[in-house]
Amino acid sequence: MFRPENMKRVELVVPDSIVVQVTEALAASHVFHPAASHLPQTDHIPPGGEDWREQATTFANLERRVLAVMEDLGVSEGPPPEETPHLIEPEVARVDLEHLEQQVEGPVRQLEEQQERLEQLQEYVRQLQTIADLDVELEALRNRHYLYALMGTMPTVNLARLRSSLDIIPSVLVEMDRHDHLATVILFGAQRDAEILDRAARSAYLKPLDLPETYRGTPAEVLEALRAGIERTRRRVREGEATIRRIHQARVDHLRHLLWRVRASRTIVETIARYGQLRNRYVVIRVIEGWVPESQLPALEERMAEVSDQVVLRTNDPEKQDEGEVPVALNNPGLLKPFQDLVTNYGYPSYRETDPTLVTALTFSLLFGAMFGDVGHGLLLLLAGFLLISTQSLSVLRSLRGVAPLLIACGFTGAVFGALYGSIFGFEHLIQPLWLRPVDGIQTILIGTVTAGAALLSLGMIYNLVNALLVGDVGRLLFGHNGLSGLVLYWSLLGLVAGRFVGRLPIPSGVFLALAAVCGTALALDEILANLVNGQRPLAKGGWGTSLIEGFFILFETAISLFSNTLSFVRVGAFAVAHGALGLMILILANRIGPGQGFAYWGVVAVGNLFLVAFEGLVVGIQTLRLEYYEFFGRFFSGSGVRYSPLTLLPREQ
Amino acid sequence: MAVRSVSAYSVVQAAVRGLYSKKLSPDTWEALLDAEDFEIVLSLLSKTAFGPYFEEIPRDRMTPRRAVYQIRQRLADVYEKVIRLAPDRARPLLLWLWRLYEVDDLKATFRGIEAGASWDRVRFLLYPRHKYSLLKLEDLEEMVLSGSVVGAVAETRGTPYHETLAHALNRYEAEGNLFPLEVALDLAYTRSLWEALDRLRGQDREHGMRLVGSLVDLDNLLWAIRYRAYHHLSEQEIINYTLPFGYQVKDDDIRAIASGADIASVLRRIYPDLTGLPALENRKPASTTPLESIEVALQRRLVRMCYSEFVGSPFHIGIPVAYLLVSEYENRDLVVLIEAKASDLPRERFMPLLVTRSAIYSAS
Repeated sequence: MFRPENMKRVELVVPDSIVVQVTEALAASHVFHPAASHLPQTDHIPPGGEDWREQATTFANLERRVLAVMEDLGVSEGPPPEETPHLIEPEVARVDLEHLEQQVEGPVRQLEEQQERLEQLQEYVRQLQTIADLDVELEALRNRHYLYALMGTMPTVNLARLRSSLDIIPSVLVEMDRHDHLATVILFGAQRDAEILDRAARSAYLKPLDLPETYRGTPAEVLEALRAGIERTRRRVREGEATIRRIHQARVDHLRHLLWRVRASRTIVETIARYGQLRNRYVVIRVIEGWVPESQLPALEERMAEVSDQVVLRTNDPEKQDEGEVPVALNNPGLLKPFQDLVTNYGYPSYRETDPTLVTALTFSLLFGAMFGDVGHGLLLLLAGFLLISTQSLSVLRSLRGVAPLLIACGFTGAVFGALYGSIFGFEHLIQPLWLRPVDGIQTILIGTVTAGAALLSLGMIYNLVNALLVGDVGRLLFGHNGLSGLVLYWSLLGLVAGRFVGRLPIPSGVFLALAAVCGTALALDEILANLVNGQRPLAKGGWGTSLIEGFFILFETAISLFSNTLSFVRVGAFAVAHGALGLMILILANRIGPGQGFAYWGVVAVGNLFLVAFEGLVVGIQTLRLEYYEFFGRFFSGSGVRYSPLTLLPREQ
Repeated sequence: MAVRSVSAYSVVQAAVRGLYSKKLSPDTWEALLDAEDFEIVLSLLSKTAFGPYFEEIPRDRMTPRRAVYQIRQRLADVYEKVIRLAPDRARPLLLWLWRLYEVDDLKATFRGIEAGASWDRVRFLLYPRHKYSLLKLEDLEEMVLSGSVVGAVAETRGTPYHETLAHALNRYEAEGNLFPLEVALDLAYTRSLWEALDRLRGQDREHGMRLVGSLVDLDNLLWAIRYRAYHHLSEQEIINYTLPFGYQVKDDDIRAIASGADIASVLRRIYPDLTGLPALENRKPASTTPLESIEVALQRRLVRMCYSEFVGSPFHIGIPVAYLLVSEYENRDLVVLIEAKASDLPRERFMPLLVTRSAIYSAS
């Protein structure tokens, strides 16, 4: 629970003849995380051997084509099949797909043509509507001897430029309408300037209204004809859609089956293409490398033995130099899964580092509870969590079941802090606070939350020390911003501040000053000192001058960020105070609407409280996440680990 | 100076100064120019900050095109680092500066499609991606695989480029060349860059405007000159294909060029101190065309402005922008050098095209 699962490096040596069966079995085991091979891959194809990379490209193209047909027919991918598909011959899949494409291509093209026509006709109508009242025949506008007129649409950003480009040409640009970023315009001028005007209009991206000459008469008459055309086209579109629906119904299962089979085949061949290869004159041997959790190794060995007795399986512990590529499998109990998701959403710890899920669960719940302190609201969240766990009926609620432990933990701490604050459903005087009412002790609660923040930041730095120790990074341990120097600097600064406010401390302020100076210097020189203790040369990679300047600014930035990160926790207290104030506001509102404390009063209290739970819950959740990610995780968690992602042919629920 | 600015820019400016120290030195440039062939250029570069990028590729696979891609990889990494460390208020402008490469990638992709090139051929003509890229490599691959410019434009749906491209598409279909698409992209991109610049305040605005505004000026001027001298466009077309804003270049200057005024006079009016325009003054182009001479002279001027940003107060957007622009021009110079060495061109043929080296000497 505190460390990622132990992993074993697995190497399988298999004859080429059974490589597909072995790969399918590895995928079916759901525990094998493939790794890049150190041996040559498919550069040397034996005579008659298969080029897996080419096959992977073929399957990728086939998958794209299947998806294109599905998109044309509006067929979704659907759930993955119950049974894992096996490798299909590319030629078989190709013939099958071509048959489907032939069936679909014609009706889809006809439908698209009709849809395009419909859009075109609607565009004509939109443009012509702007001159619907004009009692002039369109042919007259088209064939003027002296007047030049060009109607069309153009980007609005080009309007001013087109006008100014025609400053010296007698012309008028009339804007009739605006729609999104386009304007419908008519450009008038003299026919003798037609060429200049045409070129100017074209260069301003004025797209002329290319109404076919078959549309004759006044704009109103043309509009009538266009609307009749739209009606006819709509009918054809509906007919086309009905045809597509029929094909959809007839082919939906076939297409989904083909898609999953092609997709699985692509995964198989792409995986095989990455295997290492050993060969002699007569036989080709594939070397499959990857990672498996130590606890799953016996099951994998058993499965491989079932596939063939020709499979040789060797295992090793991860070497120091491999640690950057060892996948990280976090294994926390179900109740901690939502908190694990919060952690992995930020990143994965590296293999040797600690798993921060448990501490995240504790700190997240406490921070949330401190900001959301209300017995009633906390219990509501708790109840919602239990409801999600117990509900079987609604699929929407079932899909949210994963967050139930989070709601329960946050609800519980919210209720506990509610008792500490003496707040229940926004009523601040119904129960006695076990600690204090936030609105009555603003200074105390703000100082308290900043102190808690300082403790959390320190915890983050201590975590960083542990991680640096585990990965053996002495430089980071001693001189990193969040290493020993950073931590002592932080505590020294806190000591100086505390001494100023509290008065006499057991440690004299001179000691704090001296420690801060020593640690500050170490931080400014962190890169140089880290290189020194790690035995890396040159000590200052970008030159001494650059390193010192950079070090000075990084020290400056570290000091500012420590200060701002600590103050960031003021928000925890501020939210606790704001909660009391919001509760008070609802009660004032309720008293105004229902002074006699009747139905209206309790209605406002109920709706107000529901609003508070939803609104405050959301805002407090975001703030808590921010504090966890930026203030806490940022201290120790690089998130540079590789996610454990076992080979699978079908997507699996996590 | 506001404490907030000091705090906001302290890390990025320290990091940029660290990166700046790894810029190619004049001695390295001299050695590169003297290198007998592409192989020696690679050896020399492998001892510089570009070294780790060359280590990734076996030497026998390191073609000039691949070397250029690896050099660009460093630029992408530098952009990513600077954007990551920059304060929130500086980030939009830096992101838009990075998107210039996405616009270039879109153009390269369209040209690849027009030429019927495969994805493998197009891929290494593009800039490497990083986490701030809006267009992922897969998106560009889909565009190439669509097989047509119309299909490729459809693939840009959901990006800030789609609206512009979709509207310009009818002109591409009618005229059968990429010019309208490319011009529309350039104009839309530069407008967005200018909007990001316009949103800056205080010292950020002052320094950002000085550098990025000058970059916009440079592009706008070159467009106007190119459209007049090479494309022979009408006055109205030139005005519509250029922008009405800038730092030192005003709309009147662009309109003057569009209406046929003497280009050298216009340039001297805008930049009385500008030198290095022999091709325009003497009308005897040697290894460069007049437009190239103007382009290089303006670029050198911009690079000198960038170098001068490193003197004085460092807590503003000027330092990161200056470094990114200098890196861009250093990259371009290296591309020129690699192509020249791979084609066995004599030194005097490509030297006039180099920007940063000449700017260093002028600055010192």
